[in-house]
Amino acid sequence: MFRVENLKKSFGGLMAVNEVTFTMTKGEISSIIGPNGAGKTTLFNLLTGHLKPDSGTVYFKDLEITGLAPSRICRAGIGRSFQKTNIFPRLTVFDNIQVALMSWRKNTRNIFQNADRFFQNEADEILVSLGLGGKKNRIAGLLAHGDQRLLEIGLTLGTYPELILLDEPTAGMSPEESRNTMELIQRIVRARKLTLLFIEHDMNIVFGISEKVRVMHVGSIIAEGSPQEIRANNQVQKIYLAEEM
Amino acid sequence: MTLSAVRKEKSVSRMIVIVVLAILAALPLVLTKGWLSLVTEMLILALAAGGLNLILGYAGMVSFGPAGLYAVGAYATALILVYTSWPFGLAFIAGPFVAAGAAVLIGWFCVRLTQVYFALLTLAFAQIIHTIIFEWYDFTKGDNGIVDIPLPELLKPIPHYYYFSLIVVALCLGLLWMIVRSPFGKTLQAMRENAQRAESVGIPVRRYQLAAFVISGFFLGVAGSLFCGFNKNVFPNYAHWIKSTEMLVVCLLGGIYNFFGPLVGSVVYLFLDKVITGYTQYWPLVLGLIIIVLLLFLRGGIAGFIAERWAQRRGSREEAS
Repeated sequence: MFRVENLKKSFGGLMAVNEVTFTMTKGEISSIIGPNGAGKTTLFNLLTGHLKPDSGTVYFKDLEITGLAPSRICRAGIGRSFQKTNIFPRLTVFDNIQVALMSWRKNTRNIFQNADRFFQNEADEILVSLGLGGKKNRIAGLLAHGDQRLLEIGLTLGTYPELILLDEPTAGMSPEESRNTMELIQRIVRARKLTLLFIEHDMNIVFGISEKVRVMHVGSIIAEGSPQEIRANNQVQKIYLAEEM
Repeated sequence: MTLSAVRKEKSVSRMIVIVVLAILAALPLVLTKGWLSLVTEMLILALAAGGLNLILGYAGMVSFGPAGLYAVGAYATALILVYTSWPFGLAFIAGPFVAAGAAVLIGWFCVRLTQVYFALLTLAFAQIIHTIIFEWYDFTKGDNGIVDIPLPELLKPIPHYYYFSLIVVALCLGLLWMIVRSPFGKTLQAMRENAQRAESVGIPVRRYQLAAFVISGFFLGVAGSLFCGFNKNVFPNYAHWIKSTEMLVVCLLGGIYNFFGPLVGSVVYLFLDKVITGYTQYWPLVLGLIIIVLLLFLRGGIAGFIAERWAQRRGSREEAS
């Protein structure tokens, strides 16, 4: 359902993403790992329209979406979260989710009705599924870090994506919080029959839930396979050993 | 907050609005003509600032050139009344629409930029409007302005024009109130908070910024047209950056994150202007001090400050009960 072909992007002389090619099938849960500066986030930015690729193509459900505006790509059915928490800080938790729902339901041009009445139940449902039901009237920016990360995932879910790209969803969380969050994400992805691609540094998490792992190094995907295959891959071991030394 | 508390708060704010409207409606019975003129001016400036605040406070777009569109509204009405035989009503309504048309053109360029670049481009366009009015002598009478604009007999007495302004401003602020609470209004606030995230949940941010800019321009145009009829003269300095600054200060003084901020700001600003210039010629000095105090100690403006205290009191009362 998702196909990336020969994607390339350079900044000045630096090749940030180099000839990246991969495909994903519906329902797949897979991850991208790689050392800092490998080009993982840049790749995400190319896939969601935040950056325009120099060359290459991206297909989603046989539709070419290369270089479309982020809002168009969202409408096509791809949702994403960001590495740095990216929410609407001075709106309430409920309003955050509601804006995503209003956008998805094409209700944002409505200037005649009071917004309060729209999508109450739907927003509540998303918040409850994330365990944020009791905090809906809080100001989003004042939530604890972990809750803000969850809210960000809620924003991503609010546009009913079929494919979600999560950029380090557990960044800054304690190991226990990370584990719980990833279990929650896995549960939601399964329940909603979504396809998930995520970037992560914590190897326990990566190997725990991914069906497929892709390893990026200096802009290229150098290995792709099941967690066992990746663990056994010499080249991957070398890169990670080199980084630790 | 419980549902009954929300309802109670709603009925309280509705009561406040009704009481304020009743007082405003009764003012011509007690005020002298001079003071009534001042209140008319306050109403018009409140509408201009309210229109500006749609983009400033709600959409987070800092415009340095609102006076440009205000002047377009004022001059459109003035020119139509002087050069054509259109009735006043039609000329008055044309003003905001011409301003909104100009806003489409200006906004199309401006929303391509953000933050300080957006602000400077709006300033540049306003100064272009000022220059056109100033230099196009044959058409706009340049710095002589357009004077003695004919008004219908009905609107000539000051109390009559006051009532006319009150109705128009109340209607427009009612419309703005509806807009900021609508899904569109909430979308603007989300864009203000985080444009990148808004784009990522499927909102074409620039298009919405343009829409907000045009709606804001429309209300600035209404204010301009109203002031044209109030003053019966229009001058190029309506488009000057000093006028734009005045509108920005009014918004900041009242509070940009509160719907009633611009209204409160306008009343306080023009009242101080009137009182202080009666004592000293150093009004700009006092104004400067006020702005410094505002920016350092009262970032939410007067209305923001009151709303905060109100919420605190309610919070502590809820805790006690």
